Amino acid sequence: MKSFSLREHAPSILVASLSSAFGVAVLQFFGVLAQIIRADDVTGSSDTVAFFLAFVGCVFIAIAVYTGAVVTSNTFSTIIAGRTRTIALLRLIGSSARAQRSAVAREGLIVGIVGATIGAVVGTGVTVGTVALGQASNFIPDLTFSFIDASIVLPVITVVLTTWLASWVGSRRVLVVSPMQAIGASTEQSREEASASRGRSAAAAVLFGVGIGILVLSVLLGLVTPLAVLIGIVGGLLSFTGLVMGAHLVMPPALRLVGRLLGPGAASRLAAENAVRYPERSSRTTIGLVIGVTLVTMFAVALQSYQNLLYSAYANDPTYYDGIDEALLLTVVIFSVLVGFSAVIAAVGMVNNLSLSVLQRTRELGLLRALGFTAKQVRSMILAESAQLTLASVLVGLVLGTFYGWAGAQSLFGSINGSPGIVVPGIPLAFLAGVVVLAGVLTVSASVGPSRRATRIAPVAALAVE
Amino acid sequence: METTEPSVVARVDNLSKSYGTGSNVVSALSGVSLGINAGEFTAIMGPSGSGKSTLMHIMAGLDSVTSGRVFVGDTDITVLGDSDLTILRRRRVGFVFQSFNLVPTLNIEGNILLPFELDGRRPSSQERAWIDQLIESLGLRDRLSHRPHELSGGQQQRVAIARALATRPDLVFADEPTGNLDSRTSREVLTLLQTASREYGQSIAMVTHDPIAASYADRIVFLADGRIVDDRARSTPEEISTFMLSMEQHS
Repeated sequence: MKSFSLREHAPSILVASLSSAFGVAVLQFFGVLAQIIRADDVTGSSDTVAFFLAFVGCVFIAIAVYTGAVVTSNTFSTIIAGRTRTIALLRLIGSSARAQRSAVAREGLIVGIVGATIGAVVGTGVTVGTVALGQASNFIPDLTFSFIDASIVLPVITVVLTTWLASWVGSRRVLVVSPMQAIGASTEQSREEASASRGRSAAAAVLFGVGIGILVLSVLLGLVTPLAVLIGIVGGLLSFTGLVMGAHLVMPPALRLVGRLLGPGAASRLAAENAVRYPERSSRTTIGLVIGVTLVTMFAVALQSYQNLLYSAYANDPTYYDGIDEALLLTVVIFSVLVGFSAVIAAVGMVNNLSLSVLQRTRELGLLRALGFTAKQVRSMILAESAQLTLASVLVGLVLGTFYGWAGAQSLFGSINGSPGIVVPGIPLAFLAGVVVLAGVLTVSASVGPSRRATRIAPVAALAVE
Repeated sequence: METTEPSVVARVDNLSKSYGTGSNVVSALSGVSLGINAGEFTAIMGPSGSGKSTLMHIMAGLDSVTSGRVFVGDTDITVLGDSDLTILRRRRVGFVFQSFNLVPTLNIEGNILLPFELDGRRPSSQERAWIDQLIESLGLRDRLSHRPHELSGGQQQRVAIARALATRPDLVFADEPTGNLDSRTSREVLTLLQTASREYGQSIAMVTHDPIAASYADRIVFLADGRIVDDRARSTPEEISTFMLSMEQHS
């Protein structure tokens, strides 16, 4: 039985901690907010507000936990791919595939418990610290807040369970490892499991189609009533779920397209091929980032479109929207931070995937070095791979987010501006600039560790026989 | 710097290599001097642990020396830095490995042209003609758009040979090139190497422990315990086996 390797599981523990810390902190912050409102309750509506806050909080936590689970299951399947020979050897000696898989799932449970606990402590620390800071600067009223609430157990348990589940899903490949693989001379071509089942692709296509249909309907209805946005939400959820399920159909073409943009030269050509070498894995790696960017963009575009609408509606009366700018900007910032957190988790997954893929390519990198690839070329190849993953995710996310944001704004406001009103989609330039900068930072920082490791690989590694 | 005789394409002078420090020092090569003649097919033979792989790694600029000097052509490669060594490997040395080692994401044509691509240039028309000739004679014409994993071991090794010969390097290193092949395919691959040497004057240094493989070479250098113990011209597998056995028995 393989002993628990901290080094292998550190990224998954980090992801679990991030999800759990985020969940705990969001609930605690919203709890503090509810307590402030209750202390100041004149309308008697504080319970409704508290309920609403808890609901919104849960949505954001769900997004973060979902992204975390995708990242973790991806990490686990990559770890399994690297362990194939060990697993095959154990199978050869007589261990059953089921026992092997259970062992992996047990590791997942440990990762979940450790990560979620660390996260709960860190999250509470962040809340307590921020509130203390706020009180010291008189930004937050001097109340005695209770931070430890039964509800914060919820995200912790959710993270433990989803991490466990994710490790189980990610360990699927254990079942197809044959004992023969322990004897086989070469594991060079670890072609990923045959492309995803037709069933999944079909379900994804149906969900997407139906969702888009409903979305079109809501946009049309939106010309009559703002309630159309409720239908729109259903359409958006369905079509987006379809997209996430069908990531293996969407992301590889996007990656290829971006890969072509990287230009000629050995380093970028090899990078372009590497990013789509395992289409399933690349799709899973990038989809988390796509989800994050899409959601952030959606909110930004919807709010900017709303602002455009206000400007054009009250162009003669500038005093009306005095102050609206700031309120809207603040809303965009808060939403971006809340949703953007899942993008951070997705980014961890991307960094992790890149480093693991470098680790598993030791021989190939050694070969390239032996054939005359300079260390600089290796570095630029890995930077290009990183850029390709980031760019493709960000571009897809921006396009989807703009579309969903516009559809939402159109459904909600289409009837306001005197029918039939067309809402012009607007993208806040500051937001766009922020996304570009963050994408650049992610690209570079994701490639630093892996390329350092890759350039340390001696060319002799290619000649060594396993 | 001494000048190398024109007929020697690579040589080592009083080469020693040891690993580890203090009381754990293991000597892989001690005082080896050897010249590889231009246009010759040289086999470097020896049992496991004799230092033959280390010798090849050092001559190819893949590993450092403890003492002594290594020349490729007139260049002393022991004083070169990493990027100069990389350029040297790219332009003046070719490799054929035991486990084929093709780049799995590139198709066959991409693998053969990889050395040019690494150099950031396209083959000249003369080089292109040479590559076409190689592709033709190695029977790879209708495989060019395939990926390595779609080919048999023997075919993959032929691709590796085409890649190694494509730039017409000063010297091709072959590391147990038949180690992963069945005997019929092995004979094919060895004949190809022999032909490359005889017809195109390609200098080849092959590391092997297989007497049959060594019998295809023009010259056989025997290594044992990090020293050269014999250096003889073309021999039959029987003669080579006999010598190997006597080496084993005397050690």
